Amino acid sequence: MTPQPLRFSRCLPLLTLLCVSISNYSMADGSVVDKIYHPYVDALEQELEFRAIHQDDQPEAEDNLQLYRFGYGRAFGDSWFGEVYLIGEKSDDTGFKLEAYELEAKWQITEQGEYWADWGLLMELEKESHENIWEFSTGILIEKEWGQWSGTANLVVTQEWGSDIKDEIESSAGLQMRYRLSRWLEPALEFYTGQDTRAIGPALMGNIKTGIRKRLHWETGLIFGIDEDSPNMTLRALIEYEF
Amino acid sequence: MMVLGLGLVLFGHYSVAGTPVIEIEIKDHLFFPATIEIPANTKVKLLVINRDPTAEEFESYELNREKVISGNRKAVIFIGPLPPGEYPFFGEFYPKTAQGKVVVIDQ
Repeated sequence: MTPQPLRFSRCLPLLTLLCVSISNYSMADGSVVDKIYHPYVDALEQELEFRAIHQDDQPEAEDNLQLYRFGYGRAFGDSWFGEVYLIGEKSDDTGFKLEAYELEAKWQITEQGEYWADWGLLMELEKESHENIWEFSTGILIEKEWGQWSGTANLVVTQEWGSDIKDEIESSAGLQMRYRLSRWLEPALEFYTGQDTRAIGPALMGNIKTGIRKRLHWETGLIFGIDEDSPNMTLRALIEYEF
Repeated sequence: MMVLGLGLVLFGHYSVAGTPVIEIEIKDHLFFPATIEIPANTKVKLLVINRDPTAEEFESYELNREKVISGNRKAVIFIGPLPPGEYPFFGEFYPKTAQGKVVVIDQ
């Protein structure tokens, strides 16, 4: 029932290849500011999730772009977590519309604290609702603990294909340094990079216990662009009901 | 990224052999032993054996660990290296009875 060390050894060639691949392709477009994933799975857990992203002016993008995700997820065994999402979008140019559907799977590869760092793998399949556009993303999730500090990296490679898009492979990355101040409040610093986005900013997150194995997890962040191509400011918010 | 790739290979061969193992049992929604002493700055492997037919979750914000142990199953939890101090843990399903602490001793 415990993730086995051997699994880590087996997937090493894949992980190594993915890391090297990230350096060889163009960087991802679209909004790369999003949730930072942690490489852990809590067995028996189910969750309802709502995420919102609001980015202001950005060259090559609609003004005041808002992205929303509604998701339901659950654990499968001790090492896997699956989630389905509906993704909505709104901007100054368009009203709210259902933009895409997504399936997501997370695999906890190593036991927390067993190795120098903790490792997980994220896979996402997304289909645009009104266009023939598909995306498949594979992300390496890495977390390292230093006392009350936790550092997390998400390294993602995305392949896009379909008759309404030029096939391409893109990459993006999200980094988070979090201070575990208390279960109710944890401050963090986050950095995101992808095509047209280099951004950094503070975030806050925490948990509110609502019962036995029931809690609300919340996150919010204000992420500032650090070059001319990036949105000046992106506000991100997330709330999960875990049960 | 090449450096990260190389790092993956190196960490993959990192061995945890020699890590001290401490057994904890869950029975009647209690932890036995309820207090565990471990040396400072040492990684320790907790082997948690759930003797109850119902699931329990080992949870500790102080240890930064959450782990579900199904009924009549066992699970491994790695903790540390930690500085000296007391680190409470509890069972998420039966928090009123399932309580314990890890005492880290400077040797």
